[in-house]
Amino acid sequence: MVNEHNIAAALRLEPRPAPWEKPLSLELALTDCYKTLRDARPAAREAAFLRIQLPAMMTPMRDGDVFAGRVRYPLVGLSPELMGVGYYCLEKPIREILANPAAALDDTARARIGDMLAFWKNETTHAKIRAAYPDDVRRVLPEDDWPRHPGAAFPLYRMAGITLDNEKLLRLGLPGLAARLREKPGQSAGQPAPLVENTLAVLELLADLSRRYAAEARALGQAETAAALDAIALREPRTLREAIQLFWLVTLAAGVCNYGRMDVWLGPFLARDLDSGALTRDAALSLLRALWRHIADSHDNMFNNRICVGGLGRPDEACADQFALLAIEATRTVALNQPQLSLRFHRRQNPALMQAALASIGEGRTFPILYNDDVNIPAVAAAFNISRDEALSYFPYGCGEYILDHASTGTPNGLINLLKILEDTLNQPAPDGATPDERFPTFETLWNAYAAQVETTVAALARQEKITYEGAGAAAPFLLISALFDDCAARGQPVFSGGARRLGGTLESYGNTNTADSLTAIRRLVYRERSCTLGEIVRACRDNFASPDSARLRRRLLDAPKFGNDDDEADSLAARVHEQACAAARDAGPRAGFDHYHLVIINNGANTVLGAHTAASPDGRAAGEPMANAINPSPGLDRNGTTAFLNSLLKIRPDIHAGSVQNMKFARSLFSPASLPKTAALLSAWFDAGGTQAMITVVNRGDLEAAMREPEKWGHLIVRVGGFSMRFVELSRDTQLEIIGRTLNE
Amino acid sequence: MTASADSTSPDLALAGAIFDVQRCAFHDGPGLRTTVFLKGCPLRCAWCHNPESWSRIPPEAAPAFRERRATVGELMAIVRKDRHYYDASGGGLTLSGGEPARQPRFAAGLLRAARAEGIRTALDTCGCAPPSAFALLAPHVNLFLWDYKATDTAGAPSLHRELTGRDPGPLLDNFRRLYAGGADILLRCPLIPTINDTPAHLEAIAGFARDYPRLAGIEIIPYHAGGLSKYDRLGLPRPALKTRQPDERTKARWLEFFQARNLPGITLA
Ligand code: SF4
Repeated sequence: MVNEHNIAAALRLEPRPAPWEKPLSLELALTDCYKTLRDARPAAREAAFLRIQLPAMMTPMRDGDVFAGRVRYPLVGLSPELMGVGYYCLEKPIREILANPAAALDDTARARIGDMLAFWKNETTHAKIRAAYPDDVRRVLPEDDWPRHPGAAFPLYRMAGITLDNEKLLRLGLPGLAARLREKPGQSAGQPAPLVENTLAVLELLADLSRRYAAEARALGQAETAAALDAIALREPRTLREAIQLFWLVTLAAGVCNYGRMDVWLGPFLARDLDSGALTRDAALSLLRALWRHIADSHDNMFNNRICVGGLGRPDEACADQFALLAIEATRTVALNQPQLSLRFHRRQNPALMQAALASIGEGRTFPILYNDDVNIPAVAAAFNISRDEALSYFPYGCGEYILDHASTGTPNGLINLLKILEDTLNQPAPDGATPDERFPTFETLWNAYAAQVETTVAALARQEKITYEGAGAAAPFLLISALFDDCAARGQPVFSGGARRLGGTLESYGNTNTADSLTAIRRLVYRERSCTLGEIVRACRDNFASPDSARLRRRLLDAPKFGNDDDEADSLAARVHEQACAAARDAGPRAGFDHYHLVIINNGANTVLGAHTAASPDGRAAGEPMANAINPSPGLDRNGTTAFLNSLLKIRPDIHAGSVQNMKFARSLFSPASLPKTAALLSAWFDAGGTQAMITVVNRGDLEAAMREPEKWGHLIVRVGGFSMRFVELSRDTQLEIIGRTLNE
Repeated sequence: MTASADSTSPDLALAGAIFDVQRCAFHDGPGLRTTVFLKGCPLRCAWCHNPESWSRIPPEAAPAFRERRATVGELMAIVRKDRHYYDASGGGLTLSGGEPARQPRFAAGLLRAARAEGIRTALDTCGCAPPSAFALLAPHVNLFLWDYKATDTAGAPSLHRELTGRDPGPLLDNFRRLYAGGADILLRCPLIPTINDTPAHLEAIAGFARDYPRLAGIEIIPYHAGGLSKYDRLGLPRPALKTRQPDERTKARWLEFFQARNLPGITLA
């Protein structure tokens, strides 16, 4: 992960290039810069800050780099998401460096670093956001350190999921972009707007950086790279290599880690180079493979690094398809867990794309991830309350959250654990000492209490997210992002302060399936069969099913219908849990000041982390066990075959949220020549019936077991864990066992 | 199918003994299928993967198996849920077992109900049932998956009887009668190294290809050692089969045998 690598490098005391060789000297200089300009206009402050941060954080090319551009963030700096939100100061690693005798810091330096930490304590954007919470938000969100504390809801501090208008960037180039800004200076009372003036300064910095990298490339004997870097400092890119180079430098400088619809903006460059004979298809493929490797190596981030190809709404479909096929081929042959290539597809799309995708998936790549435009476009239009035309630009970033490519924000700034809310609902002490059965005489009374709790929590999270945006906007205009994000230029406003065409937010929801299965079991046993009391279930869960009576009850809870078996008793409650939580978010959004605010039901490992702090649940899950992943069935509890599992997924409405994740694991044999037509038919029938998206891991149980025994031989085995892909051998033993336990469709 | 066969509505209350329903089956006929496994089998194949099917009565020792009595109506409620997958893949309903033809009325009722809804059907059979059973079933079956298990050599003790417990004669008679009646039949031949892959057996399979040109196909099903733990759960001794899973060389040798006889239509399943 970018931030982990950067922190690790700092802790190893790896020196930076001059003049920042001394540990934390860059951080001190940045702090001084910020202090001097603390009360200046945010745009001027940012430009001055970046004048130090950018050249220092863009680290030298390495031997073998085909593209220039690597980053090492300082421990104090400005970033939209990768290191924290806005102006950040990573106190913990800084203290570790202070404590390290090898750091060779004299007393003056130590004192200054101490002052620096004290200064940032209340000055980081994170601290200012937290301080701005009103009491009711603070009550719902008392704690920030979610991996280590139990809780039903937590804030996340970041501006994730920004994508840039790379089409505009590549069409205009750096000088053209500057010219365009000068044309429309957004004058106010005769003065050039500070936003424009300071953006021009940052673009100039980028041109300098490009020239610096050109010199490095020449020194490394990379003549073509050097020429491309020189060219993009002077004019718009004209070749695929120049286009990729410019995109990459601007992306890193902007702090962005999701890349949007790459076939739309690189397709024309590929076509031109192929037509002119400047590139053969093989040469173009090796450029893409080099880019894929460079992304994985220099910008390692398995939760992000999304690239989308295919789908409706691309201006030159044939040209984009040509690029898409090459991108899929790069993914198939490079065999890495990133970038996360995603294929949008629709009924009338060139079938070669899906064929290539299935070939790559069949070889165990997990990519491309498949997105069904025929369902998703109307769903996004309905959820975001926008026209179908606008919805054409939907883009799943990160772990699968939808935004409109470079037109809407959609960072998840909160986590909600629905199962914890159910746990709290069942365990809340009644003021009058009433038992659970007295408090909830009918299933609907229990449901209403749970649903009210969800609504209160979601409403607080929506307000907290709005406060986070305001805090980020007050900290910095994020000049490069605002230069390449829809409507910022036209409105003359920064992205988080009125510039973004649509201000959207998202909320990551966990425990959905376990909550639904718990409610199903309670409804059946307590309210329908009347074969046990609610009190008995609550006690059994508290007791983690330890006593013989609780253990017996657990077996009955486990025997109750479960989501994922095409059983309406369980699936209808899963749909109800989903619809209630989604509606709570959708309705809370506008009240908090958003254009749209939605649940995302994705996964990034939080199902496991939050599960560790969640008590045993009435679906039979033991205390501390992982919760089911995204909207998938609980591991191993979908027992009626793949079609039943897929049919259950169809009952979860897609038009009321901003993305959900469906992980599927198929045996490798299903991608053999004999079975592939059936597998393809299975997927296509599911997508035709309303399936939204699929993340497919292809694997044999034997492969997984062998990989646990002999990890050294299975480095290539990539599995989809939830919202991301990972090398199986790098997962913890627990997660490995969980994956083996998840139903394998054979 | 005769016109009268489907002129009345199917009897949804008809019940039978089953031991599993598998949805999304990839290997039980064309396309994606739902396979209903019927209980009861008169054979005792030495390599049987489904010993829980043998008895018609649910054994006490096997609570883990999904054995139950089910009605045509109940089963159709499951079968029709996957119709979009059948339509996309050319699949449908398969009855397997056990020997599904041993519950002919129930099996025919279920097949007929599926067909009445436009769902295509297959019957996986070893052929060991009275001719009347097949006469009852045939109008409702789109494709027979016919298991051909072993070939006897003249003068030697019956290998078929040794390996399955029954003589092959009546089974083959059923096959010929159905074929003559115009049924679509896919011949499926489990080959178990050193147990039934004798030259005489391979020659007999080749003979089927020559003598019955209207067969929907002939598939070789290489032996797979799985499911033996079911024997433990049933309290039955595991079959003392001295064999191994066929390696690629063995499978290639089988295929070469047929290719040399210019029968490329015989394929590995
Ligand atoms: S015919 Fe099938 S079910 Fe019956 S014994 Fe043989 S293999 Fe087993």
